[in-house]
Amino acid sequence: MSTTALPRTAAAPARPAVAVRITARDREQRGQWWRFAALSAISFVVLLPILATVLLSLRPAATSATTSWLTLENFTTVLTRTDVLVWLMNSLGVALATVAVSVIVAAPAGYVLSRGRGRAVASYSLLLFVIQSLPVITAVIPLFVLFARLGLADNLLGLTIVYVSSTLAVATWMMAAYFDSIPSALEEAAWVDGCSVFGSFLRIVLRNSLPGILSTAIFAFLLAWNDYLVALVFLRSSNVFTLPIGLQTFFQQNATDWGPVMAVSVIMLLPPALVFAVLNKYFSVGGIGGALAGR
Amino acid sequence: MSAPTTTAPLAAGRRRPRLRRGALTMMALIAPSILLLVLINAYPLFVAALQSVRDGSLIADGSFIGLQNYADALSSPRFWKSAGVTLVFTLLGVFGSWAIGLALALLLRLRTPGRSVFRVLLLLPWVVPVVVSSTSWNFLVGTPDSLAPTLARLLGLGEVYFLADPFMAAVTVCVFKVWISFPFMLLMCSSALSSVDTTVYEAAGMDGASRWQQFSQITLPLISRSTYISWILMAIFCVNDFPTIYLLTGGGPVDSTTSLVVLAYRTVFQDMRTGPGVAIAFLMTLVLVVVSTVLYRQIRKADVA
Repeated sequence: MSTTALPRTAAAPARPAVAVRITARDREQRGQWWRFAALSAISFVVLLPILATVLLSLRPAATSATTSWLTLENFTTVLTRTDVLVWLMNSLGVALATVAVSVIVAAPAGYVLSRGRGRAVASYSLLLFVIQSLPVITAVIPLFVLFARLGLADNLLGLTIVYVSSTLAVATWMMAAYFDSIPSALEEAAWVDGCSVFGSFLRIVLRNSLPGILSTAIFAFLLAWNDYLVALVFLRSSNVFTLPIGLQTFFQQNATDWGPVMAVSVIMLLPPALVFAVLNKYFSVGGIGGALAGR
Repeated sequence: MSAPTTTAPLAAGRRRPRLRRGALTMMALIAPSILLLVLINAYPLFVAALQSVRDGSLIADGSFIGLQNYADALSSPRFWKSAGVTLVFTLLGVFGSWAIGLALALLLRLRTPGRSVFRVLLLLPWVVPVVVSSTSWNFLVGTPDSLAPTLARLLGLGEVYFLADPFMAAVTVCVFKVWISFPFMLLMCSSALSSVDTTVYEAAGMDGASRWQQFSQITLPLISRSTYISWILMAIFCVNDFPTIYLLTGGGPVDSTTSLVVLAYRTVFQDMRTGPGVAIAFLMTLVLVVVSTVLYRQIRKADVA
């Protein structure tokens, strides 16, 4: 069979082996294309809701003067004639503030969990874990009463504080897990050279932790950006709405005008999708856990 | 510890005063975290505990009534119906998303053109804000003219009311939850599978094990710990999940999708009864604390192993 399979190759001694490999590769290649087809079909079905959102956002309104199939007019309408720009800025501001404060609080705490020893550290770690798995609604009700008295209820600062506290446990754990991967011998060497603990934390541990910080930041961003429940409970006035709450105001009682709704949806899903596309190697399983828990 | 022996005495000698200074630094480093935990998590939980034994509303404190709210909750059929909804939602959410996530993780291990692109695409449902995905699901299933009811008609299934029929609404909510959650399981399974040594399969293949035997006898046991952790994590997410259900159905029709969180939310913010709502949340909490403590132990064990 080697002679029929390979009349064109000159390398005689290798013939039988090459022939076998080619048929195996053929089968493997056919399998690859089957899997490609299957994955394409699955992805299409899975992404259908997202595709529908994007396509509808680009569709001209029934009353539109444009004759083209796709148009950005839904976007210009919602950005110029509604409060969407204000909500977008609110969402961005709250999410970025949450990211900044979460990292600033979680990094040092994670360092202590990673390097500290003893019962106190272990119980704090357990406490964080238990509190993180509690239903958000349990804490939100009394916080709403408390914040109402402090004037923080219908307020973006109050919202940020709640988000930071919801990221607390997972963010701390993510940082601790990252710090665990940095050898403490580096710090010990620095201490011998006269560096303080805080100094070695800043100059050695933190400086080498960009991936850990990035994953924590992504997690905090997604939690704040995607949250619905806390914003629903806290926010009452349109000027402090975040996008999720604002989007809900677009639904009319009977007939929903889907174009503008989907345009706002696309505006809302772009930042997380972009962050994910660019930084997906920093998405860690731990962070995903927390982000989902925040829903 | 791992320092060379020549520097060990020096380090040990220096470490004693340092450790004290280090301990102070450690306390300073963790202080902001503790402050937040106490002020924004622990204190509200304490207040919630007080609210749950009172008959107050969001504006009035009410008077002390002991465990009446808990007794009322436990004796109300609505509570038990919601508990049932939560249980079914959780079981289907966990195992549905796990089955799909694992299948896709296995598929994505094999060589396929554009594999990394598919991986990113299939993870997208997880990053899309739930408000956005519930909106598009509403568009796809919500009205009789939507895509899904039209397809059902074309397939000869007759009129299917995905959100208006109590049973179908419950099914739709569960499918929606699986759609949102399978990427998490895909990631968990992928990372578990990548730690499995592939030479085991070659050996098993030589011994004549079929694909299915290899999967059930080798793969599943080898990823069991990670599987177990992902189930419990997902169970916690499902029990706590509010927006997935609330945005799609609002808990209706006729309470068919009212889970315990939705019931607690509606009791507090629609019926304006804080005590009973918080009591419901606390009863959930009790179950979750037990579950999460067990999980924590498991994770610790996995760390050691």
